[in-house]
Amino acid sequence: MAELISRRQLRRVATIGAVAAVALLYLCMVGLIEAFKDRNVVTGVITLGAVMLLAVPLIAGYRAALLPRDASASRLAAWQRVLFGLVVGLIAGAVLGVFVVIASAVDVRGVLVRISPPLLEFLSFGLPSALAFLAITGLGGLTGALGALLLVSPVRIRNAVTSAVIAVVFMSMIEPLLRPRLEQLDYTAISDFVYKSHGLTEAAAILFLVVGAVAAILWQPANDLVRRTVDAAPVESRRRIRRWAIGVLVVAVLILPQVSGTFLAQVAVLVGLYMLLALGLNIVVGYAGLLDLGYVAFFAVGAYLTALLTSPNSSLGIGLPFFVALPIVMLGAGMTGLLIGAPVLRLRGDYLAIVTLGFGEIARVLFESDALQPWLGGVQGILGIPSPFPPRIDLDLGTMHIFATGPQVLYYPIFAFCALAAVFAYRLSNSRIGRAWNAMREDESVAEATGVSTVNYKLLAFALGATTGCLSGALFAVQLGSVFPGSFDVFVSITVLAVIILGGMGSIPGVILGAIVLIGLPELLREFVEYRVLVYGGVLVAMMLLRPEGLIPNRNRQRELHEADSEEEQETLDGDLMPQRGTS
Amino acid sequence: MSVLGTPPPSPMADVILSVHHLTKRFEGLVANREIDFEIPRHAIVSMIGPNGAGKTTFFNQLTGIIEPTSGTIEFDGTSVIGMAPHEVAELGIARTYQNIRLFADMTVLANVMVGRHVRMKAQWYEAVLGLPHVAREEAAVEQRALELLDLVGLPRRYADDLAKNLPYGHQRRLELARALASDPKLLLLDEPTAGMNPGETRQMTDLIARLRRELELTILLIEHDMKVVMGVSERITVLDYGERIAEGSPEEIRANPRVIEAYLGKQATA
Repeated sequence: MAELISRRQLRRVATIGAVAAVALLYLCMVGLIEAFKDRNVVTGVITLGAVMLLAVPLIAGYRAALLPRDASASRLAAWQRVLFGLVVGLIAGAVLGVFVVIASAVDVRGVLVRISPPLLEFLSFGLPSALAFLAITGLGGLTGALGALLLVSPVRIRNAVTSAVIAVVFMSMIEPLLRPRLEQLDYTAISDFVYKSHGLTEAAAILFLVVGAVAAILWQPANDLVRRTVDAAPVESRRRIRRWAIGVLVVAVLILPQVSGTFLAQVAVLVGLYMLLALGLNIVVGYAGLLDLGYVAFFAVGAYLTALLTSPNSSLGIGLPFFVALPIVMLGAGMTGLLIGAPVLRLRGDYLAIVTLGFGEIARVLFESDALQPWLGGVQGILGIPSPFPPRIDLDLGTMHIFATGPQVLYYPIFAFCALAAVFAYRLSNSRIGRAWNAMREDESVAEATGVSTVNYKLLAFALGATTGCLSGALFAVQLGSVFPGSFDVFVSITVLAVIILGGMGSIPGVILGAIVLIGLPELLREFVEYRVLVYGGVLVAMMLLRPEGLIPNRNRQRELHEADSEEEQETLDGDLMPQRGTS
Repeated sequence: MSVLGTPPPSPMADVILSVHHLTKRFEGLVANREIDFEIPRHAIVSMIGPNGAGKTTFFNQLTGIIEPTSGTIEFDGTSVIGMAPHEVAELGIARTYQNIRLFADMTVLANVMVGRHVRMKAQWYEAVLGLPHVAREEAAVEQRALELLDLVGLPRRYADDLAKNLPYGHQRRLELARALASDPKLLLLDEPTAGMNPGETRQMTDLIARLRRELELTILLIEHDMKVVMGVSERITVLDYGERIAEGSPEEIRANPRVIEAYLGKQATA
């Protein structure tokens, strides 16, 4: 045995197995499995609960087969690694098996309310205790080995299998969105072919497996081909390709609400509002490195100023048109940015974070307070904010008929503002201003000595961040038709920060994708609504461990965090540049 | 030879920096006491002294990082007392640091371009609007930055690397390029050869001499390495315990008993 698996590796395998076992038990105890044990992924074949359970030993087996850091492990043969996966899976399965046996014999529901008889029935496949234990353990081991096998198999196969599985799960997950829409658009035949009692039909499952696998296999060569073609093309046509790509993207964004229907448009509106906030905060945190935890204050100021100026019911009661009010709102928010920025000019890092956190709360408390109630409406907020956008658009263009209501309309101004903010931020980041911000982020006193007026640039960052944030607030007020202080708590600040971190600090495409993933996905996966915060936390922890630089990292930051990979290269570089050292 | 009091009239009448009775106290500790100091235009002047003699404090006052307790600093006819560091930089004083301080997570090129910041004109609203003259300025500065890399001997292939990934010697060169980017009239070098081997030190010394020639700079350097100081500078000022104890040409300084004492202790002079 000592020959087969060294002590250290044995310990590693045991640890991963234990972690997997805890994960399995956790999934059962929080009720995720119980909630989704009847949600079909492929109807009659597998349910979501089963997918979740199987995913744990699969991933654990995969991890176990990954080479550990120490060099001795590089001699491990493929079959040894698969063995690791098997052992990990067996451990996890056995622990769950024991748990199931005990829970079936003793009533544990007094403490663990989610361990219900139907859940145990599901976990034990309806078998008697001893057999159930064996079945669970065996299945765990098998899945773990499968995970390991996936790792040792060639990249192509691995990618194909992963992508096929993801395609199937994804298609079944979006059933609540896709199916009603398909039926609404009279594609009942398609929806009947694809879905059966919330899961995929077997035929559709096979289809998506194949599509997923083929897409994965073709991805790399197709990507290479495109890259080669683009690289080989002369500058002139490369620019044309770029323009076309942007054009296609714009068209896709434009027709999205038409295709998707009102619910998705509503989700897109929310994504857009957060995207705008994130683009603004990215200037402050990503570019200038000023950790602002009270960003919600600007969102609130934008919303309240809009409400005050445009609502006839507000204390001002002047009822300005939205687009007349907007410049005033932006100016006001910019001033607020300066106002909050000025006292914290001398603060750095953690201190700045704490003080801005306080400012954010102060803003909310002010809006809520009874003292300001005559002006700001207190807890009741301000109602009756008119929308400058028509409630519905009904256009008959002969061949095309465009019909849009509510969010489908609001979607357009929001994304127009997002696009503007993204372009402006991009230009700033590539100018003298962006460089000055970055320099300040890196070393404030050296930036100052190099000629950057850190006072001015900090204030500029705060003001521009505030102005962008207030735009989002203004649109938010218009969307709801009313503002309440309750909408502006600290979680907005935290969520926006999470969007930036998830997407990639200082990277505009990252921020955009971050908003789509972090704000859009939870809305789309409505079935998980009860477990949203749990999934949220899980995703963030996983991201920080696996990809700390974000989804689409800023070019520089990626290198910074992954330079361990290129350390050897660096050493040789140092070596040949300083050959004289020690010789003279 | 007068070693204290007002400095001897310089051979070149054109003085770019003149410091009078400069004193800096830190709660009882006198870091600089009544220092008088002048730099003729286009000269290379060194400031030496044992650790803790107050050289870096002196530098920090010249660049506006700390404010003197008393005394005057006049640069090219303008008093820099009370100016913020970025205003001093704009006036034409640039510096490097004893322990290299680059913008570590920015590219080599971006580091140099930040150095050019004070000479660039684009305002934020112009950048936001993407006006053509902003792009033109940007391109010109990038070109200039690349030329500066050539000048300090940092190969252009490093331009897109992160500053912190450069080998040590190249980091020193990059810091120099960043300082030069603002077209300074006076360049302050704080131990530019610290941590270098003799070969690299010689290259750096040659580079300093060449920069003065080609860019018509005035250079003030703090150094420990006597070989560098003696080889490159025209005048040398010696500080000890915050006071100026000697001033003169390299030959005069080498023979000065007070300097020898400060560096080697009392017995060495006997």
